[in-house]
Amino acid sequence: MLEALIKIVVVIGAIMTAVAYFVLLERKIAAWVQDRKGPNRVGLPLTKVRLFGLGQPLADGVKMMLKEEYIPGHVDKALYVLAPISILAAALATFAVIPFGSVWPTDGGPIEFVVAPGFDAGLIYVFALSGIAVYGVILGGWASNNKYSFLGGLRSSAQLIAYEIPLSLGILGIVLTAGSLKLDAVITQQAETGMWNAFVQPLGFIVFLVAATAEAGRMPFDLPEAEQELIGGFHTEYSGMKLTMYAAAEFMHMITASFLIVILFLGGWHFWGLTGSGDQITWVTALIRVGVLCGKIFLVILGFMLVRWTLPRFRFDQLMALAWKVMLPLGMVNLVLVAAMVEYFPGAIVDRPLIVFLGMSGLTLVSLVSMAILAPLGSKQQPSTLDAEMT
Amino acid sequence: MQANDPDILWVEEPKLGLAGKLYLPLIAQGLTTTTRHLFSKKITVSYPDTEPEIANPLIYRGVHRLNRDEQGRVKCVACFLCATACPAHCIDIIGTESPWPDREKYPESFTIDELRCIYCGMCEEACPVDAIELTSLYNLTGRTREEMVFDKEKLLSVHDQTIDKEPMRSQGGATSQGGFP
Amino acid sequence: MSSESLLYAAATVLGAVGMWLLLPRPGERLRWGGAAMSVVALGLILSQISPLGDMLSQSMFVVLGSVTVIAAAAAVTFRNPVYCAIWFAMMLLGTAGLFLLQGAHFLGVATIVVYAGAILVTLLFVLMLANPRGNAPYDRLSWEGPLSATAGIVLVGMLTMTLSSVLKSPTLADDLPSALLTAQAVGSGNSDTEQAAARNGGQDILSEHHSASLGGRMFSAHLVSIEVAGVLLFAALVGAVAIIAHSRSVRSDKQTLAGKQAMQTPSTNGRAGA
Repeated sequence: MLEALIKIVVVIGAIMTAVAYFVLLERKIAAWVQDRKGPNRVGLPLTKVRLFGLGQPLADGVKMMLKEEYIPGHVDKALYVLAPISILAAALATFAVIPFGSVWPTDGGPIEFVVAPGFDAGLIYVFALSGIAVYGVILGGWASNNKYSFLGGLRSSAQLIAYEIPLSLGILGIVLTAGSLKLDAVITQQAETGMWNAFVQPLGFIVFLVAATAEAGRMPFDLPEAEQELIGGFHTEYSGMKLTMYAAAEFMHMITASFLIVILFLGGWHFWGLTGSGDQITWVTALIRVGVLCGKIFLVILGFMLVRWTLPRFRFDQLMALAWKVMLPLGMVNLVLVAAMVEYFPGAIVDRPLIVFLGMSGLTLVSLVSMAILAPLGSKQQPSTLDAEMT
Repeated sequence: MQANDPDILWVEEPKLGLAGKLYLPLIAQGLTTTTRHLFSKKITVSYPDTEPEIANPLIYRGVHRLNRDEQGRVKCVACFLCATACPAHCIDIIGTESPWPDREKYPESFTIDELRCIYCGMCEEACPVDAIELTSLYNLTGRTREEMVFDKEKLLSVHDQTIDKEPMRSQGGATSQGGFP
Repeated sequence: MSSESLLYAAATVLGAVGMWLLLPRPGERLRWGGAAMSVVALGLILSQISPLGDMLSQSMFVVLGSVTVIAAAAAVTFRNPVYCAIWFAMMLLGTAGLFLLQGAHFLGVATIVVYAGAILVTLLFVLMLANPRGNAPYDRLSWEGPLSATAGIVLVGMLTMTLSSVLKSPTLADDLPSALLTAQAVGSGNSDTEQAAARNGGQDILSEHHSASLGGRMFSAHLVSIEVAGVLLFAALVGAVAIIAHSRSVRSDKQTLAGKQAMQTPSTNGRAGA
C-alpha cells in the first residue's frame, strides 16, 4: 500500500516535471529548426543567472496559475469544467501500468518500476484510457458552445476513433509474439531474444508509429486544434489553469505514445551488451536500464518534435483515407505475416534472427510498394469526387 | 462559391513518382532538411547583450538629425518643404530672416515630434539642401511625451553624435554652397 | 413475511415511485421528492449488503456500487441527452471499477474500451451532430415510465437480495469468490457445465493467464455464438453502407442535372475564366 502510494507520488511528480520541460524543449526545437535561439532568458528566480532558459517552465507555470480563469457566459458550465479534468485524469492514470524500468533489487525481493504491477491487461488498459481521453476533447468542444471548438471536437473524435483501429492492429502483432498483454512481459520477451519488435515486424512498427502520432494529435495529425483553421480547436474558449490542463494532457499523450513505441517496438529498457536480460540484477544494472529507457523515449520525443516542423498538416479527407485505405490494410497484412511466422516458424526469432529480419523487411517493402502503386491517397481534386468524399 | 463555378481554375497537381507515393523517402528527405537547420547558425540577435548590425546605415531610417555646414551653422533654410511633405505632420518650423548673407531665411525653431513620426523618410527626400537626414539610431526611448519632441538643439546634437560614423549623404552641389536659388 | 422481505418490498415500492417521479416528463412536479425517495430506497437496499472481507474493499465496493447505481439512475432521468450519455459513461466506469475490484482485469478494461471508448463516443458524436441543443421533444420525454422504473428497481432489489442471502448462509461464507460466482450462475439459470466452469473460473480468474484462457474458451466452447455475433455485426455494417450508397446516388442524380456541363470540362472552363 505504502509502496504503491510512493510510486504514485514519484510518477506524478516526474511526469508533471517532464511535461514542463518538454514544453521548453518543444519551444527550443521549434526555434532551432527555424534558425532562432529560443527561450534563453529565464534562469534562477531573483538572480541574474540565466542557465540557458531552464527556468522558463517555472515562469510559465506561475504565469498560467496567476492568469484569470475566465468562463464565458454562453458555455455549458458543468461539462466545460469537467472536460479538462477528465482528459488530464485519463492521461495521468495511463501511467499506472507503464513500466519505467525493470526492477529494483532489495532484500525483500525485487520491486518493479510500475505503479500497478501484476495488472495483466496493461495494453488494453492504456487503450481504454485513451478512449476516455476522447471525452475531454469532445465535451470541451461541445460545452464551449463555439463553432470552432465544436468542429475541433468533432474532428478529434472522428480521427481518434479511426486511428484506434490501425493502432490496435499494430499491437495485435506484438501480443502474438509476446503472448501476453502485460507491458513488462513484452519487454522481457524482446530482451531475452535480443530481437526488438521493430526488426521482427517493421510493417507493424510503421503502422503503429503513424497511428500513435495521430492518437497523440501531433503534427501532421493535429487537425483537432489546427491553429490556422480553428483558432485552437476544442480549447479555444479555455484559459488559465484549464488551458494548462489541456496542454499538459496533450504532452502526456505524447509521452505515453513514446513509451508505448519504445516498450512495444524498440526493446524497452534493453540494449545489447549493456543491460542483460534477467530479473537477477544489481542496482547498477537497474539504473542503466532506467537510463536506457529514458534515453530511447527522449529520442522518440525528439523525433516527434522534428516531424512537427517537417510535415504539413493533412486535409481531413486525406487523414481519413490514410487511416482506412492505407493503415488498415497494412496493419492486416502485418497481422497475417506475424501470425504465419508464429504458427509455422515458432523458434525462428531465436534461431535465425537475421533471416527473420531480412524476410520481414523484404515483405514490408513489397507491401509498401504495392500500396504505393495502388495509390489510394492519389489526389482527387475534382469537385464531383470531393463532394462525394464529404458526404 | 460553388465547386463547379466556371471562374474556379482547377490546377492539375504534378504527378508523384514512386518515392512520393511511398511517402517514407520524402519524409526522410524532409527530416534531413529539418535536422540540418537544427544545427545551422542561428540568426537571432540577443538584443540588449549584442547590438544588431545595421547593414547599410545610409538607407536606414532612424532618428532625424539636422546637419551643420562647414562653419557649424544649421544648414536648414526654412523652406518648409519637409513639413509639407511629412504625411504625419510632425515637423513644426518657425522661420525668420537669416542673420547670414548666404540665405534669406533660417529656422528660429525646428521641432520634430518623434512620437508622431512614422519614419518614412519623405522629409529627407524633400529637403533641397540636405539639411534633414535620418540616421541609423534605432533605440530611441523616453520617459515623457515632452522629452520625445526634439527641438533644434537636440536635432543638431544628434548630428554631432552621428556625423563621424555616418557622413552626410550628398556633398557639394549648388545648394550646399549656400543660398537658396 | 420476515422483516427483511418487508424492507425489500418497501424499498422496491419506494424506489419505483421515486424513479417514476424522476423520469423526464412534461412539467417539473415532485422531481425532488422522487430524488429523495430514490435515495432512501437505495440506502435501504445498501443497508442489506453484508460485510465482505476487509474494511477497505468493503468501502470501495459500497462507493463504486453507489456511484454506478446513481449514475445509472441519472442516465435515464436527465433531460439533456448529452448529459445522459455522460452519466452512462460514468456508470460504465463504475462497472469497470467493480470488475477490477473482483480481479477481472480483462473484463473491466474491455468494458471501458468497447462501451465507453467506442460505442458511447460514437453516440455522443451523433447526438452532438444531429441535435446540438438536445431539445427535441422526443429526446426529453421518457416512454413507459412506470413499467421501466418498476422493472429497474426490482432488478436492483432482486440482485442484492440474492447476493446477500448467499453471503449470509454460513456454509458458503468461507469461500467468497466461488460463492459469488455460483450465485450468479444460479441467478442466470445456466447449465451444470457452465456452473462448473464458473467455479473453476473463480480460482483462475486471478491467474496470470486469465485473458489467454478467456480467449481460448471464447473461441472453442462459444465459437458459434461469437461467429453469429460477428455475422450480425457484419450484416449491420453492410446495411449501413447500403443506406449511405442509396442516399448518395439519389443526391448525385439531383446534382448531375445541375452541374454536369460545368463539371465535365473544368480545365477548359478554367482557361476561359482566366
